Amino acid sequence: MSILNIGTRALQANQVALQTAGNNIANVNTPGYSRQTVTLQTVEGQFTGGGYIGKGVDVQTIQRNFSAFLTRQSTLASSVQAADVTRSDKLSQLEGIFPGGASGLGSAISEMMNAFSDVASAPTDLTARTVALTRVDETASRMRAASQSLDDLQQGVDQELRQKADAINTLARGIAEVNDEIARAQGTGQPPNDLLDRRDQLVRELNQYVQTTSIPADDGTVGIFLASSQALVLGTTVSPVSIVSDDFGDTLKNKLAITRNGLTVVLDENALGGGEVAGLLRFQNSDLVEGRNLLGRLTMAVSTAMNAQHQLGLDLDGNFGGNLFTPATFNGQNIRQPVPPATLNTGTGDLSLAITDVSKFAASDYEISFSSATSGSIPRRSDGLVVSFPQTPAPTSGALANVDGLDIFVSGTPNVGDRFLLKPFSTSASNIDSVFSTPRNLAVASPIAGSMGSTNQGSLKQVSISARTLPMSLATPVVFTFTGTNTYTRSDETPVANTTVFTYTPGQAIEAEFPNNYPTLPPTYNDPLTGWTFTLQGSPKPGDTFTVIDIKDPAYGVDYKLNSGNATAMMNLRDVAMFDGAALTDGYASLISQIGIRSQSAAYAAEVSSSIATNLEKDRTGVSGVNLDEEAAKLLQYQQAYQASAKMIQIAQSIFDTLMQGLNR
Amino acid sequence: MATSLSRLGTANTYDLAMRNLTARQTKLADLQENLTSGKRVVRPSDDPTGAAQAERSLTRLARIATDQRALEAQKNSIASAESTLGDITSALQRFRELTVSAGNGNNTPAERRTIAVELQGLREQVLTMANRKDNNGLPLFAALGSGQVPFAGPNSPPADYSFVGLPGQAAASENAIPGTLDGESAFMLQGRRDGAYNVTLSQIPTDRTLQTGPVTVVDPTLVNGSSYSITIDAVSTVAGTTTVTYSVAEGPPVAGPTQSGLTASFPSNLPPSFTITAMPGLSMTVNGLPVAGDSITVDTSPSIFSVMDDAIRDIGTAVNANAASQAVAQALGNLDIGMERVSAVRGQAGDLLNRADRITSTQESRSIQLEADRSRAEDLDMIKGIADFQNQQTGYSAALQSYAQVQKLSLFNFIS
Repeated sequence: MSILNIGTRALQANQVALQTAGNNIANVNTPGYSRQTVTLQTVEGQFTGGGYIGKGVDVQTIQRNFSAFLTRQSTLASSVQAADVTRSDKLSQLEGIFPGGASGLGSAISEMMNAFSDVASAPTDLTARTVALTRVDETASRMRAASQSLDDLQQGVDQELRQKADAINTLARGIAEVNDEIARAQGTGQPPNDLLDRRDQLVRELNQYVQTTSIPADDGTVGIFLASSQALVLGTTVSPVSIVSDDFGDTLKNKLAITRNGLTVVLDENALGGGEVAGLLRFQNSDLVEGRNLLGRLTMAVSTAMNAQHQLGLDLDGNFGGNLFTPATFNGQNIRQPVPPATLNTGTGDLSLAITDVSKFAASDYEISFSSATSGSIPRRSDGLVVSFPQTPAPTSGALANVDGLDIFVSGTPNVGDRFLLKPFSTSASNIDSVFSTPRNLAVASPIAGSMGSTNQGSLKQVSISARTLPMSLATPVVFTFTGTNTYTRSDETPVANTTVFTYTPGQAIEAEFPNNYPTLPPTYNDPLTGWTFTLQGSPKPGDTFTVIDIKDPAYGVDYKLNSGNATAMMNLRDVAMFDGAALTDGYASLISQIGIRSQSAAYAAEVSSSIATNLEKDRTGVSGVNLDEEAAKLLQYQQAYQASAKMIQIAQSIFDTLMQGLNR
Repeated sequence: MATSLSRLGTANTYDLAMRNLTARQTKLADLQENLTSGKRVVRPSDDPTGAAQAERSLTRLARIATDQRALEAQKNSIASAESTLGDITSALQRFRELTVSAGNGNNTPAERRTIAVELQGLREQVLTMANRKDNNGLPLFAALGSGQVPFAGPNSPPADYSFVGLPGQAAASENAIPGTLDGESAFMLQGRRDGAYNVTLSQIPTDRTLQTGPVTVVDPTLVNGSSYSITIDAVSTVAGTTTVTYSVAEGPPVAGPTQSGLTASFPSNLPPSFTITAMPGLSMTVNGLPVAGDSITVDTSPSIFSVMDDAIRDIGTAVNANAASQAVAQALGNLDIGMERVSAVRGQAGDLLNRADRITSTQESRSIQLEADRSRAEDLDMIKGIADFQNQQTGYSAALQSYAQVQKLSLFNFIS
């Protein structure tokens, strides 16, 4: 009898083993499936006088082969990979917006400035003027096009974020349901392998979107936490996530927020770790913002510098020039106050911006926080450099602070703790346009000119002469008299003209302003320089003069229409160090290299994290994955055991038959 | 079941193989893109510093092309100015020849008037050429800035002709030359620097000769640019020395004091010649014996045009040979002074043209350098590119074949 029992038991056990192997083979390609192995246990032997006689085999449990450690590692690595790959993809889209070469923005700017060369050679030629104005228009439209592409990218990222937030919520709800089922199945004493696999798979998919930490609870449920501390799923309750704007309501940035019991907590994207959502947020909040600021700074610096220079010249009708590009303005988009649910400002202060020096611009947003009505700090968002105000020396314009070429004015009274976000460059490229197209209105004549004395004996030559600011009071021409080979006096000196003897260095600019450190050399001046400047070359003899005159002064009879001094000054803007020390025409090259560096390092990071994730997945499936050869071998093994067990039953039956036959006599 | 050291999940091996194949395929496609575009750096992220360098090289190349175009225009202007100066010099040479022929003592006043007419034509030619413009409508001799017509005249004396503009020469830079020459320096004369004075005499009867030499500048610092008129008051001979008493009046334009009672002496037995030094900074030799009542007028000549006008007037209205030869001598002296100035400026023009050629050759070699920089930064080395592509292609094909082979192996094939 016991042999029959043993045989039956063995048969059943081997059948289960075969079924398990078959299940494994069937699920070889199911994602997230952990292979199951049968754990066989021997039945306790029965005590007899002759010893403990074994009673066969039993299936203890179907064991799910998995390594919690490797699963966690692999999930984490694939989450980081998802973040890096997403960010790298988006960055390569961003760098596509800024092509180099002849079709790029840099080439348009360079051609525009070079077009003034033809105007300088022929100031009365309307064709050359028209070409220059056409190039100005072309540059403005390329800037607008780049800004539009950035807007499109921004919108795409925004939509993707919202879709992914919905996906996160759906997966979270799925996990909560499985948690519920697993908790109920806990009572049965056997692990619900398929449910556990399903939950692990859901967690894995969730980690593709956002990195989570899993903390198992006592009742078999697993708590899913975001940013290491915020519970997305606790037992069977889900706290949904949403995409919200940041503290200042900045439409160009988004943040992930989680709502629990009606309380919304905003998460910082750097704390999120990995996942596509984290990658997109990082791209949107730092890379796209940088791209926009770089484009905006290029636009604002070039247009402001050219406008300023154009206003210093005379057009064909003798009027001073207007703006070439639409002038830079700052409005509510550029200066933001906190919006709910962040702490609102309590004071009545409001800020405004003005440009002081285009060569000092930094491509960044700024935050101001007030520690009192007149003092506080201004951290620069791109690199964290903090400027405190009040500054010493205080800005001469009466501004609250002067940071990176921008004056910040305050009106009203801010309170302690008030904050503002300044985004000076975020809108400058969206609306830029050329203001006029009439060639006669292009101001290429310089309002001042210089004249050598007709009795000069030395070898003085004029290198350049140009106006710096308006108005220039030149009702009386200013005469520079050279008293020796390297000394001169000025007729505009007060109170007595021609008193101080200055040093003349050939090739060094002489300013309308008097040097404030004379007689120390080289001369230093108050910043910014005003009035006019000229440079001479060669060596004078005593008695030689050079006179600075207003070009329209009738005493000299000069026709200002034939003068192209302002066109030359426009071209000299090409060499002004404007973008972190790079010249104006090199500004675009440094823009594309900055974005290229970001894109390249993101690509490297994506490669590295991809290979780490692949290796960990290989290790994980090394434990949990199904190997078909192994299963085939097991099939053979258990089939043989099954056949042996079946044989055992056959023997038991024949024993019985023998017994019965013997008894039948 | 014991944990095995080297276990593989079947599904995972497929995944890994697919991943490798895709990676290889992507690399192959990237190399193909490089080959078809000829660039090593297709996107800035391929090599950010290379991309930036290529962009900067392109900017600089465009700038050099622009500068060269402007230089061509400037060169044309200066070449045109230089050849105009050449034309002016030929006209002045012709003027000089005619003046010399007018000094022939056998000419009648009518013949001298005929010569004066031709001289007038030459003078008008020279003034027109001095006001010549280039292709873009800018005067060639505008110096640092002038009106549409830089040389205006004739006006009323003393400034017969004026330069309507700002005298001075613009400097050449490392990639440009000025487009105008200093016309003021070429055509306008300064008393202090050049000492160009026209000396006319009151009418001397044919039985006497009275001539003056040219006015020379002995002390430039004392020259004040005025005209002078000298009146001979008395001539007396005492004991073998002849003394001439004269007075000098200054002006216009500045009406200065009249110095009287000045004397100059010379031995009576030598040909009469005495020097007048009463004009500040100037000295003039008078040859011939004057009589009381003769007067000598010393006028400034502010420009080469006024020199020519003076010569035309004096030659055309000379009543006798004495006046004619005085006019001719003065004209020749002053013409030489003027032509010297014209050729000095012409020399400067030649210098500028040479400089333009040097600039052009420097710019050309810079362009070549920049193009090489750009190519190095951005272009694909075709040989290397093709070799890499072939390698990658071979690798890809090997990967595909091995994938097909390995995945066929399974224990199930051997369980019948």
